[in-house]
Order: sequence, then structure tokens, then C-alpha cells
Amino acid sequence: MNYEFNFTAVLKYWPLLLEGTWVTLKLTIVTTVMGMVVGVVCAVLRTGGPPWARRIVGAYVEVIRNTPLLIQAYFLVFGLASAGVHLPIQVAGSIALIVNVGAYTTEIIRAGIDAVHRSQIEAAECLGLSRLQTYVHVIIRPAMERVYPALTSQYVLLMLASSLLSAVGVDELYGMATRVQGFTFRNFEVFVMIGAFYLLLAVVVRHAFVLFGLLIFPRRRKLGTAL
Amino acid sequence: MKLSRRSYIVLCASMLAVAAPAYADSVDTLQKIKQAGKIRVATDLANSPFGMKDADLKPIGVDIDIAGQIAKDLGVELQIVPTTGPNRIPFLTTDKADIIVSTLAKRPEREEVIDYTQMPYSFSQSVVGAPKTMAISGWKDLAGKRIAVTRNTTNDTDVTKKAPDATVVRFDDEATTIAAVVTNQVDIIAQSPEFLDVINKRNTSKQMEAKFVVGQNEYGIGVRKGNPELKKWLNDWLVTNFDNGTLNRIHRKYLGYDLPKDFKTIWK
Repeated sequence: MNYEFNFTAVLKYWPLLLEGTWVTLKLTIVTTVMGMVVGVVCAVLRTGGPPWARRIVGAYVEVIRNTPLLIQAYFLVFGLASAGVHLPIQVAGSIALIVNVGAYTTEIIRAGIDAVHRSQIEAAECLGLSRLQTYVHVIIRPAMERVYPALTSQYVLLMLASSLLSAVGVDELYGMATRVQGFTFRNFEVFVMIGAFYLLLAVVVRHAFVLFGLLIFPRRRKLGTAL
Repeated sequence: MKLSRRSYIVLCASMLAVAAPAYADSVDTLQKIKQAGKIRVATDLANSPFGMKDADLKPIGVDIDIAGQIAKDLGVELQIVPTTGPNRIPFLTTDKADIIVSTLAKRPEREEVIDYTQMPYSFSQSVVGAPKTMAISGWKDLAGKRIAVTRNTTNDTDVTKKAPDATVVRFDDEATTIAAVVTNQVDIIAQSPEFLDVINKRNTSKQMEAKFVVGQNEYGIGVRKGNPELKKWLNDWLVTNFDNGTLNRIHRKYLGYDLPKDFKTIWK
């Protein structure tokens, strides 16, 4: 192997990489929060909503989970613009990510809801909990806790998938890295570096999820055991 | 298997090291082309009028004709390696193509990694284009506006440098950049004037016109470093074919105007 690594040429452009990292992080935070909301609402509708809502959510989940994210992004960024709906590229790109991850989240949380035993809900009824209280304390929270590891990896994947938005004109980490590569032509250095950046971001996302889990699942915080 | 933390880190690091490429050898690419009986030419097929496909999906354009003529004169078969603006040079440096014939303008940072022929084979202007209703006459008017370019092309470099207050929106290939303007996602574009017609044809309400000239780009052939024989062959080929009018014929066929008389010495 006689390839000489030269990281100094690449490091000169660190402000660009930092800017890209920041955009990726912002995209991840916004889409995670919104995607979670979409996922919980759709999962509740799919399991306990009126029949028409179940059908609509079912169609949404199937369409999104069976088409590539890149096409969804093209559709939202270019398709809507030619139909006269003008959204800034970053907003349209974020919506594509939210719509995409929302569908996956719906299915994951639905699995969690399905795993809540019927007797638990009956017990809640016996204790006189309202429908809303039953949903929040007896169904959704334990359901989320049960599928939390799956959700975590789905959202790490989301962070990694945000790199696809570089194709539709968002200069996030991958897009910026391609530019740095264009300035320096040190492809391998750039790839090794953004590989490390993404690894770091993945660790950050994972830890954020663990901490957030401790916050919203008091049972786990107190007992420290899996449900 | 249980991994200790240290051996885990070593494992990760060695996986990265293995991913690094093995490079370079001493045989001139010219000999390899003749041995293989084919020349692999990196070019962009979504870059009209330089590289495109005709109604029968056959590749045509200035770059394709030049590449075809080179292959013919070398007596080998032409193999087109489809690339885009951002990845054509990596394709050459990693030996996935033998030469680049793909509107490759000369840039100091590019000359550090690849060699150029001593003269270009074609040229075109690049302009800032926008709808007729927009009042734009210079770089200053672009402040606060969004302008579409293809990542890592000469246009990207120029616009980024000369219009620091504009928002540069970058796409991965010419086709996507054009699509962004055709679909009204972005209104301003830095491109060859020929592309403005393409946009106007696809979106008749757009009425794009050239607002001002970004610059003139001459396009040379990119050769991997350390191939003096191939470079010499191409240099001679360019001179011969400029003198006998072949270069001009190809350029005229697609762009409708002649190469300048001093084209041979334009890079000296």
C-alpha cells in the first residue's frame, strides 16, 4: 500500500465540515422531535382510531416504507415546487425526513402497543382511569419503553439517512464533505474523516436517547431493568 | 467472542486502513489501453451539448465525438464511463477511467492531482441566467438570492467566490441542477447559455435569459499523473486535429460557432 495520507490538506477546510455537521445535527433534532410526534399520533390512530383513520394511516405507512427516501425527497423538493407550492429546500428536505421516519416510527410503536396485555387495560378501567389516562400511562408509555431500543436505532439511521439530502441541494455534512473533496481531491482522507464525524454523531444521538429514556420512563430510572 | 475494549479499537482502526486504496504502478496508461484494446473515457451524459443522448439513446455531444475520434485514431474500442461533475476526477485518480473528456476546465487545485493536455479541445462561456422579469446585471444583484450550481464545477467555485452574499444551492449533477430551475425550486442558475434554452423548452413559462457572463472555460483532457506517453500522444493528437479542422468541426456541430484562431496557444 503506497497511498500517502495527507490530512492537513483536508483539515484546512474544517469550518466547512463543522458547518455541515451543524446542519446535519439541526436536521436530526428537528426531524427526530417531529417524527416522534407523527409516529405516536399515527400509531394511536392505527390501533385505536376510527376505521377510516386506520385505513389512511395504513396506506401512509405502506407507501412510505415501500418507496426510497430519495424519491420522497425529490417529490417534496422539486415536485411540490413545480406544482406551485414553494418551500425552502431545507424545509422540504426536513419534511421528507419527517414523513419517512414517521412511518417507521408508527410501525415500531404500533408493535409496542400491540404488546400491551389486554388485562392491563382492563385493570386501568377497573381503577377508573379515563380513556386519555389509560392511553398515556397504561398503553403508550409502556409501549414506548418496550420498543425504545428499536426506536433508538431507527433514529440513528435517520441521522445517517439525512446525508441523502445532499442530492437535493442541502449542504449538510455529506454535501460539505463532497465540496472539500472537490477542493482537495483527497477522497480517502475526506471519507475517513466524515466517517469519524458520523460515528461521533451516532454516539451522540444514541446517548441522547438513553438520557431521554431515563427522563420519560421513571420505572426504568428507579428499577434499572428492562420491561 | 468477547472483545476487550482495546482490541475493539484496533479492529476498527484496521478496518479503516484496509479500506484505503492500493495505487499507482509504473506502466504507462497508453500501453495498457493498447493492450486492453479499449479506452475508458470518463464523461457526463447529462451535460448537453457536450455529453447527452439522442432520440435513440445513443450518446452524442462534443465530448463524445472527441472521445470517439481519439478511440478511432488509437485503433481501440471506446468505453464510456458515465460520471458527474463531482466524481469525474476521483474516477480518473482511482483508475476507473483512463482519461477525462468531460468539460474539464483548468483549475490550479485540479492540476495538483491530475495532468491536463497542453491545449483544450473545446470551450464555452458560462453565464448567470435568470427569468426575464428579474433585474440582475452583476454579482452584487445576487445578494440574498438563491442560485443553483452543480457541486465542484467551475461555476460553483466562481459563484461561491464572487457572490459571497448569495445563497448557493448545490446539486450533484447537471441534470438535477437543471431540474431545480425547471421546477421553479430555484430561479437563478450559473451555466452555459445553451442550457437556458433547454430550460425554456421544458418550462415555457420560465423565460430564462443570460444576465451576465461568469467567464469562459476551455475544456482539456484529464490524464492521470505519471503517464508522459499518453499525455504526449494526446497533445500531438490535439494539435493535428486542430490543424486539420476536426476539432473545429466537432465544436461547430454542437455549439454553432468556431474555435478562436489562437486556440492552440490559449493555455500558454
